[in-house]
Amino acid sequence: MIKIIALLVATLLPCLAATPEQEKGKTMGNPAAPLLLELYSDFSCPACKHLHEAVLPAIVLDYVKSGKAFLVFREFPLNIAAHKYSRQAAALAVAAGRIGKYQTVNDILFRNQLAWGASGKVMESVMPVLTPDEQKKVRALVNDPSVIADVQSDVERGTSSRISQTPTIVVTYKLRQQPWTQFEDYSLFRGYLDGLLKK
Amino acid sequence: MASSKNKILRIAVVVLRVLLGGIFVYAGYVKLSDPWQLFAAGIADYEIVPLWAAKFLARTLPWFEVLVGLLLIAGRWLFRTSSVSISLLLLVFFSLMVRAFVGGKEINCGCFGPNELISWKTLVRDGSLLLAALIVTFAAFRSRRIPTA
Repeated sequence: MIKIIALLVATLLPCLAATPEQEKGKTMGNPAAPLLLELYSDFSCPACKHLHEAVLPAIVLDYVKSGKAFLVFREFPLNIAAHKYSRQAAALAVAAGRIGKYQTVNDILFRNQLAWGASGKVMESVMPVLTPDEQKKVRALVNDPSVIADVQSDVERGTSSRISQTPTIVVTYKLRQQPWTQFEDYSLFRGYLDGLLKK
Repeated sequence: MASSKNKILRIAVVVLRVLLGGIFVYAGYVKLSDPWQLFAAGIADYEIVPLWAAKFLARTLPWFEVLVGLLLIAGRWLFRTSSVSISLLLLVFFSLMVRAFVGGKEINCGCFGPNELISWKTLVRDGSLLLAALIVTFAAFRSRRIPTA
């Protein structure tokens, strides 16, 4: 009996540990929630800004805070000329995530999207929300190979999930993945998630 | 000789009819097994109809697909109506897919549930289904007797 309990504990221990995304500060909610929502965004994309500012708060309130969904933020900088600073912005957000400031930097990047998109001053646009000590750490981290690798890893993950546009939320429920791109009417997405949870 | 040829043609039409009907029943069933909002989002991605119309279509079209599919398989009642309905549906679906593909839209086909991007493969498949539906429709109007399995 003791052996069985020990075996069970040994098997379950890794599940109790933080996920790699949690360690990088890019998640919200309970990892054991029935729904997994992976939000793929590009910081230069106007539709992503709209989702972040107008739709995401409702998703967080209805599903993440209520324990129904675990939200993971993923970077998906598009390779198009108009989005030439997207990858730099993504690296900055990931670097900020390493010091627990992902959401703060995420918010400011979307808020100032037009300004840094035109000037290219991505780093300067996020500095006001960081303390001098945090600024120093983020500046050191932003060009770290592991941060660059994290961005690339998100892009590859999105590509393998057949992401073709941003923003996309990949919904995983009972091991089945479904990319969702229609955010014009939040009630449609809410109805879909509620329908899944009733299944 | 002519009689044997007619018999082969008749059997071919029956096979096509049952296959097409089965495919339509399956297509409807797959959509109905997911929350309807998923199909509505898929229709909205084509950017052809307003969102309210996409919602209406998502709630009704899968049932219609199952109904016409079953009628086509049965082949006894409303055979001409069901074959014309399926041909028209496939004509609309195929045209919309070609439009999206030529326009460079990377969207889901929405044919047999989610997660199937429009590609050459889906165009060839739906084009073949349209051809089969037109053959069945032609046969439905040509023959006085309705071919049954």
